Amino acid sequence: MAATQGSLGQTQLSLYTPILTTPSISQAGWSIHTAKRAILKSDEIDQITERIKIPLPEMIFGNNHVIIRHDASGWEIGFNALDALDRVAKHGNPDGGLVKVSYSEAWLRDKATSEDGVHEVVKPFDWTYTTDYRGTSRPMTTSFEKTEDKIPLHKLRRPDPILFFEDIVLFEDELGDNGISMLSVKIRVMQDRLLLLCRFFLRVDDVVFRIRDCRIFVEFGEDEVLREYVVKQDSYENVKRKISLRTRDLGLFLRDPNWVAEQLPVIETVTEKAKVPMQAMT
Amino acid sequence: MPGLTRTIDLDGCIERLYRRELLAESVVEAVCAKAKELLINESNVIHIKAPVSVVGDIHGQFFDLIELFRVGGFPPQTNYLFLGDYVDRGYFSIETISLLTCLKLRYPNRVYLVRGNHESRGISQNYGFYSECKAKYGNSNVWNYFTDMFDYLTLSVVIDDRIFCIHGGLSPNVHSIDQIKVVDRFKEIPHEGPMADLVWSDPDPDKEDFGISTRGAGYTFGAEIVKKFLHVNGMVHILRAHQLCDQGFQVLFDDRLSTVWSAPNYCYRCGNMASVLEVSDSGERTFNVFDAAPENEEYREQQALQHNTMTEYFL
Repeated sequence: MAATQGSLGQTQLSLYTPILTTPSISQAGWSIHTAKRAILKSDEIDQITERIKIPLPEMIFGNNHVIIRHDASGWEIGFNALDALDRVAKHGNPDGGLVKVSYSEAWLRDKATSEDGVHEVVKPFDWTYTTDYRGTSRPMTTSFEKTEDKIPLHKLRRPDPILFFEDIVLFEDELGDNGISMLSVKIRVMQDRLLLLCRFFLRVDDVVFRIRDCRIFVEFGEDEVLREYVVKQDSYENVKRKISLRTRDLGLFLRDPNWVAEQLPVIETVTEKAKVPMQAMT
Repeated sequence: MPGLTRTIDLDGCIERLYRRELLAESVVEAVCAKAKELLINESNVIHIKAPVSVVGDIHGQFFDLIELFRVGGFPPQTNYLFLGDYVDRGYFSIETISLLTCLKLRYPNRVYLVRGNHESRGISQNYGFYSECKAKYGNSNVWNYFTDMFDYLTLSVVIDDRIFCIHGGLSPNVHSIDQIKVVDRFKEIPHEGPMADLVWSDPDPDKEDFGISTRGAGYTFGAEIVKKFLHVNGMVHILRAHQLCDQGFQVLFDDRLSTVWSAPNYCYRCGNMASVLEVSDSGERTFNVFDAAPENEEYREQQALQHNTMTEYFL
């Protein structure tokens, strides 16, 4: 059994069954499994839509995953699109809470005068696909406890040789050309440690920017895993103002999640720690 | 201006572009000026005859456009109707739109270009075309020439009075195609109204009627709307692009509407197929499915090596 871990204490069953093949790398008692495949086929999309109950993002890499597995115990934490999407708000009211595109008000006003007789809004849900996904861990009894520990950035800033690197997209949606919503996972494995970053990046043009970063840090040889979850958000206007007036190419900046991540204020940070069992779990 | 009056060596331009070489800025200026002169005379609804091959979104995937020609035949041996979204997202928006514009000028009755929602200043400034122009020409003049030309592209095509072709979909304000003919199209795509709907709207297979998109603007249209539109206009099929399909095409509403998608391995990572839809003399429709061109992978490997992006010390 596997569980996705969202807000503390909440667990839900995983929708994803990974097909594990040879690990991409094994290092110091840990194995990294990665899968980078094509977007789902339409019959796969139909099946999953039925389970998740919201229209899936346009580019849905439902067979992609990154899994970090402790060899001796079989303990693991992984990242996949389906469990992330299962945590998107599936209902909502367009007039309360859900994001609207910038020109929505004007559009609805103009529409009212055209008397086209169309009033029904199609399936309201959080079409920005904002998710608080923090990974899927097995077994589901794993508990992450809040900690004052921090990910040791000084160790990660060292130019230690990277033995393995991968960058995998889990889903992406162009929001009908109103911006971008994207969930992707990067992982790098060095000789003595590894870092994983699962990043949700959202830009709704002329409305809002959001970042949700979930980092997993493992120092090999220690029996614990650090997980840091950071929420960042700001208005589109505020971010745009930070671009030098000398450049006219705003798009170049506004499309770059790394640059945007540096500009957004932190709304919330939660760091948690999980003990990894030393031997096989029963 | 000297650039505007001189004659353009179109065959020379096309040859260069097939080799993926950029045209000089002044040549692009002249090509766009010529194209405007040609396009201004096209109706908002152009009637053409089969056989014709219909192409969906390309999005600057130049190698795949060439692959499409290898699969479907090079113009003018094959007649082409392109349904828009030539620019943005891919690496070669300039090469793609330069080639298509030159082909249109060279074979005006064998190549037709419909406007997509990316053929607009607002969208192409944010989604790649503008940045590419700045990067490859050092300024935004070429972007200005092309986006001015985009205002002249037609909105729809009818094949053999039977198949209605647009980029996006139907509009609650358009019941008969005569209502499209009176739209003033020579402008930036607005957010609202028939012109916006034709390039933006999407079919919804689970619905009968029109609906408002959950994003708070734009329409979706269902089975009953499609049936009614075809009946009123005496046609049998609607052909559109605008939405990614993993198999390169999708047929909906009891064969009354097709989506054709022509960007394989979209954004160089989706792993999807692409297609070109061949409409024969007798009105038969055949999707010719194709995969990404091998040149993409070579190009990307080269780039990764050059820019050292094989690994990244992210934090």
